[in-house]
Amino acid sequence: MTNRLLFRGLFSKGLARTLMGQALAFAIALALGAIIILLIDESPVAVFLTLMRGAFGDTEKIAGTLLQTTPILICGIAACIALRGGMFNVGIEGQLFLGGFAAAWVGFAFSLPPVLHVLAAMTLAVVAGALWVAIPAFFRVRFGTDEVVSTILANYIATLLTSYLTIFLFKRPGGWSETPPILPSAYLPELFSFSRLNIGLLIGLALAVGVAAFFRWTSAGYAVTMVGSAPKFAEYGGVNVRRVGFGVLLVSGAVGGLAGGVETLGVHHRFMEGFAPGFGFDGLIAALLANGSPIGTIFTALFFGALRAGSLLLEVDTTASREIITVIQALIILAVSADLMMRRRGDRTGERRWKF
Amino acid sequence: MSAVHGSQLYFNRRHERAPRIQPEVRRRLSTYVSSLSCVNHRLSSPASVCFMDFAVDLTGITKRFGAFTANDSINLTVRRGEIHAIIGENGAGKTTLMNILFGLLQPDAGSIAIGGKTMLIDSPAVAIAEGLGMVHQHFKLVPSLTVADNIFLGMEIRKNGLIDRAAQVERTRFLSEKFGLRVDPQERVAGLSVGIEQRIEILKVLARNARTIILDEPTAVLTPQESHDLFQTLRGFVDDGMTVIFISHHLEEVMAVSDTVTVLRDGRVVATKAKSALTKRELVRLMVGRDISFDRRPRTRNDGAVALNVTDLWARDDRWLPALKSVSLTVSSGEIVGIAGVAGNGQTELAEVLAGLRPASNGSVQLHGHDILDRTPAEIRNRGLAHVPGDRMVRGVDRDATLSANMLMGRQKKKPFARHGVIDWAAVHEAMRALIQRYDIRARGPKDPARSLSGGNIQKVVLAREFTAGGDVLLIDQPTRGVDIGAQEAIHDEIMRQRADGRAILLISTQLDELKALADRILVMFDGRIMGSVDGAEMDEDAIGLMMAGINPADMTEAT
Amino acid sequence: MEILSNLFNVALLVATIRTTTPILLVALGGSFTTKAGIFNIGLEGQMLIAAFFAVVGSIYTGSSLGGMVIGVFAALVFALIYAVLVVSFRANEVVVGLALNILAGGITVSLLKAIFGTRGSVVGRGIVGLPKVQIPGARDLLGPSTAQLISGYTPLVYVAFLAVPLLIIFYNRTRLGLYIRVVGEKPEAAEALGISIVWIRYAASLLCGLFAGLAGAHMSLGYITMFTENMSSGRGFMAVAILIFSGGDPLKVLAGCLLFGFADAFSLRLQTFGFPSYLVLAVPYAVALVALFALSWRARPKRIRETVETIRRALSVHRSGEADRDAPLPRS
Repeated sequence: MTNRLLFRGLFSKGLARTLMGQALAFAIALALGAIIILLIDESPVAVFLTLMRGAFGDTEKIAGTLLQTTPILICGIAACIALRGGMFNVGIEGQLFLGGFAAAWVGFAFSLPPVLHVLAAMTLAVVAGALWVAIPAFFRVRFGTDEVVSTILANYIATLLTSYLTIFLFKRPGGWSETPPILPSAYLPELFSFSRLNIGLLIGLALAVGVAAFFRWTSAGYAVTMVGSAPKFAEYGGVNVRRVGFGVLLVSGAVGGLAGGVETLGVHHRFMEGFAPGFGFDGLIAALLANGSPIGTIFTALFFGALRAGSLLLEVDTTASREIITVIQALIILAVSADLMMRRRGDRTGERRWKF
Repeated sequence: MSAVHGSQLYFNRRHERAPRIQPEVRRRLSTYVSSLSCVNHRLSSPASVCFMDFAVDLTGITKRFGAFTANDSINLTVRRGEIHAIIGENGAGKTTLMNILFGLLQPDAGSIAIGGKTMLIDSPAVAIAEGLGMVHQHFKLVPSLTVADNIFLGMEIRKNGLIDRAAQVERTRFLSEKFGLRVDPQERVAGLSVGIEQRIEILKVLARNARTIILDEPTAVLTPQESHDLFQTLRGFVDDGMTVIFISHHLEEVMAVSDTVTVLRDGRVVATKAKSALTKRELVRLMVGRDISFDRRPRTRNDGAVALNVTDLWARDDRWLPALKSVSLTVSSGEIVGIAGVAGNGQTELAEVLAGLRPASNGSVQLHGHDILDRTPAEIRNRGLAHVPGDRMVRGVDRDATLSANMLMGRQKKKPFARHGVIDWAAVHEAMRALIQRYDIRARGPKDPARSLSGGNIQKVVLAREFTAGGDVLLIDQPTRGVDIGAQEAIHDEIMRQRADGRAILLISTQLDELKALADRILVMFDGRIMGSVDGAEMDEDAIGLMMAGINPADMTEAT
Repeated sequence: MEILSNLFNVALLVATIRTTTPILLVALGGSFTTKAGIFNIGLEGQMLIAAFFAVVGSIYTGSSLGGMVIGVFAALVFALIYAVLVVSFRANEVVVGLALNILAGGITVSLLKAIFGTRGSVVGRGIVGLPKVQIPGARDLLGPSTAQLISGYTPLVYVAFLAVPLLIIFYNRTRLGLYIRVVGEKPEAAEALGISIVWIRYAASLLCGLFAGLAGAHMSLGYITMFTENMSSGRGFMAVAILIFSGGDPLKVLAGCLLFGFADAFSLRLQTFGFPSYLVLAVPYAVALVALFALSWRARPKRIRETVETIRRALSVHRSGEADRDAPLPRS
C-alpha cells in the first residue's frame, strides 16, 4: 500500500506520456552519442559493451558502480530539495568540496571514539555545506540575486579555497596536494570486504526515501512544493516564501556537504585536490532527469554511476577518453529538456517547463 | 468648474476640426460628463453614413478549437463610415472573430471581403495592407522606447540603413496634430498614463494608413472621462470617412457611441440592429439569452460591531508611486461594504495591504481591535481575515496542483487535515469532495488538476476555500470577473449567505451593478483615495460616476 | 623609482586590456541574448568549444585566420543548438545552457585525446597565434611606454573595444537591434507587428555565438597559443554575472568587464609578489560575486514610510492631476 502510494506520488502527472517522452529522448541522445563515438574513430557497439562490462561485469564491478552512485545520489537529493522549492542549486560541487575538506579535517586533526568521530566529522561537513550556500541563499531571497550564477561562481572559489587549505596549510608531509589520512576511527563502515563500498550508499537511499516522504506527506513538504510551483499562491496562503526559499537552499547545501563527508570518510580517507570532480554536476543532472523526484533520482544516479564506473574500463580497453560519458550525459539532458512528447503543450508566449 | 477644465480644453481643440458639435451641447457636455448613458443622446448625432459599399463583409465564418466552436457561421457586414459595435459576454466569440479578421487566426470555414474584394487574410501584414488596424485590449507598447519609436516600430523610416529618428518624430507630430491626439513624440512610454498609451496605439494604427479601425474592449482600463474623450475621437474618425469596429461587453458605452450593434452569443450572431432600434434591456436579453437583472438583494439590517477598521492608510505600488492615499474605512459584522472604481485606482493595492501581501507606508489597520498592519499573511489569516484575490489564476490557485492541494493551502498544519505536521490526504480529499457538492463545482473529483476547470469553477474553488477558512472578515476582490452569468448568480447568493451569517465583507468590484445588488454601502476610489460614500439602497449612479472620474459631486453643485 | 612605478602602471593597464578582451567579447555576445530576453548561461561552453576548434583549425589550415573562422563556426553550431532547444522547443534555458557547458567540456577532452592523443593540454604542434597589430607611428608619437597602451595588440582586442560603440548604434539605430530589444522587453508588441520572435531570437543567439567564438579564439590563439582542459575557467559565468547587472547595455558591460579584467591582471601581478596562487586565482571570482551581491543589494526594494513632505506631494500631485489629465494614473 505504502509502496503504491509512493509510486503514485513519484509519477503523478501523466505517467505514460512522461515515460514515453523520456524513452524517446534517451534513444535520441544515445544515437547522437553513437555518432560522436564514430567521429573519434571508435565503434559505438564496442564502447557501449565496454561500458556495460565495466559497470556490471562482476560483483566487484557492480560494487564499483554503486560506489560511484553514492555521491551522485546524495548530490542528486541535494538538487531535488532545491528544485522542489523552486531553486537551482548549481553550487553543490562547491558544497561537496567544502564538506569533504571539513570532514577530513575533523578526521585527521582530532582523536575521538569511533562512532562519535564519524558523527562529528559528518556534522561539520553538513555545517560547512550549509554555510557555503548561506550567503548566496541570503542574497537570493532577500535581494533577488540570481542563485544560478552566484552558486556557480562560488564553486570556483570553493575548489580553489580547499586546494589552498590542502596544499598550504594541511599538506601531508612528503605527500603532494593531499591532507594527512584520517584516523581509522573516522572511517565509514564498509559493506563488503572486496570493495570500498560503504554505508554511504545506505545513507543516500534512506535520504531519498525520507525526502520523498517529506514532500508527499508533511505540511512543511507541502509548503515547499507550493513555493516551488506557485510562489505567489503560497505567499497569499500564508507561507513565508523567503524563509522557505532560504531553508530549502540551506538544506540543499547541507546535503551537498554531507555528500562530501561521505566521500572523504568512506572512500578516500583523506582530502585531496580534485577529490570528487563533477559529482555535484552529475547529481544536478540526475535530479533534473528524474524531474525533481527523489525516488526517481535513485535510478538516474545509478545510471550515471554505471556510466562512470564503466568509463574506467573504457580508458583501459579502448582509445576513447572516459569523458565520452560526460558527452552522453549532456546529450541525454539536452534531449530530455526538448521533451518531444510534450512539445505541443503550453502557450506561445512560453510558460517554461521543468516545473517541480 | 475647475474640475473639468481639462475636458473643456479638449472640446475647444476638437471644435476647430469638427464644428458640427453644437456650442450648446458642448457646454452641457463639459458640465455633465459623468454618466455615459446621459451623454449618448447628445453625442450620436446622425452619422453621415454612406450606404454605397461595405468596409468589411464576413460570410459564414466558423472557427473551432477542438470540440469547442468559438465562432459558428458568423455573418457580419460593416458599412463604411459607421461605428459598429460587437457586443457579447466574455467567451461569446468576439475576440476570436476579430483575430480572424485581422489575420491572427485562420477560420475553418467562411470568407472575408474587404472593400468588396474577397480575400485570404493569413497574417496581420495582409490585414494592415488592406487598411485594417487593430487596437488591442492589452496595449503592446515598448516602455523603454519613445512614443515616435513605438509608432514606427515595424515600419521604421530609414536613412543610409540607420533609423532616421528626426523624421519619425516629425511625422508623429504631424499625425498627432492631424487627428487631434496629443502626444509628445520624444517622451519614453514608460510612466505614461493608460489614456495616453491608448492614444499612441491609435496613432500607431493611423500611421499605417488604416481606414477601418478595430478596438478590442478599449474602455476597460479608462476612466469615464478618458472613455468620453475616446468616443469623441472615434466620432471624428467616422466623420472623416473612416470605419470603426468596437468590441465591448459594456452596455452603456455601446449605447453611447455606436451606430449599429451586432450581438454575439455562444459564438453565433444573435442580432444586428441599428442602435436607435435598441433599448438597453433588449440588449441585455439578446446578450444573455434571458431577462436578467441584478436586482438589489433583499436583506435585513444587521447592527454588528466594527470588525475591520482602516485609518489613514498609505501604500506604494510596484513602481513605488503612491497608490493608496490616506484611505480610511470601517466594515461591521453582517455588512457588505463595496469599493467601486475604475480598475487601477488603488483597489488591488488596498486588498494586498489588508491581506499582508504589500507593505503599507503609513496608517493603521485593525481587525477586531488587533493591529494587523505589518503582520505576515499567515498571522492575518489566523486573526480571521479570509481573502478572495482579484488575480485568481496567479494568487488564488496553483493551476498544476489538484483541487485538494489547492484547498489545503493555508490549513496544511491544521486539524483535521494534518496531525503533528503529517498531512492526512484522505481527510483532505474527503473535505474537498464535500465542497465540490456544496458549492456545485463542476469537476470529476478532488484529484482533478485545477487547470482542467473553467474560470467560473476555479473561482468557486477559491470561494469555497476562503469561505470555509473560518475567518469572519471576508475580503473579496472581483468575485465574478470572467465568470459566466449563471455562476455569477450563485456566487452572489453565496456572498449574501455569508452576510446573513454575520460576517463582515469588503467587496471590491469594477462592476457597478454587482455592487448595486450586494453592497450596503459603496465607497468610490479614485487615484488611491476614497472619494466618497454612497448608500447601497438609494444608489445615485451619477454621483458614483463623477466620483469614479475624480470629481466630488459636492464641488459640482457649487459650480453650477 | 618614479619611472619604475610608472612602468608598472602602464604594464598593468596593458595587462588589463589584454585580460579584459576575452570576457568583453563574450559578454558583448551575451548582450544580444540578454536584450532578446534569453538568459544565456551557455556562454562558457560556446567559448570553450571555440577555443578548442580554433587551435585545431589553426593547425589544419596553417593560419590563425583559418583557426579563428573554424573556432567561431564551432561556437555558432553550439549557439544554434541552444536556439533550437530554447527558442523552438521552449526548453528551460538554464538546463540547456548547463548541459551545453558540460557537453563542451566532454567533447573537447574526448577530441583532445582522439586527435592529439594527450590529456590536459596541447601546445606547439604548429598552432599559429594571432598576429600583433603595430599601429604605424604610435611609437614615434607617444614614446615606447605609452605606445603599448594602444599598439601591439592582437586584432581581436581592437575588435572587442570597437564593438562597444558599434553595439550602442546597433541597438539604437538599426532595425535588427531595435527588434532584438522589443522581443526581449515586450514580445507581444513584436508579435502584433508581425516581427517574428523566433527568428529574432535565433539571430540574437547566433550573434552571441559569433562573439563567444571570437572570445574563445582569442583565448587559445591570442597571447598564449595553446588549449587546456576547461581553459575558459568560468569567464563565461563571469560574463553572465556582468550581464545580469548591466542588462546587456554595452557601456555597462564594458565597465563590468574592465573591472574583472583589472582583477584578473592584478591577481596575476600579486602572484609574482609571492601570494599563494590558489587564493590569488580566486580573486576574479570573488570580485564577480561581490559585485553581483552589491549591485543586487543596491537595487533592493526599499521599505517606504510616508513623511509630511511625501504626503503633501502626493496630495498636490492629485490636485494638479485634475487639471492636467496627462499626469500618470496609478495602475496595477
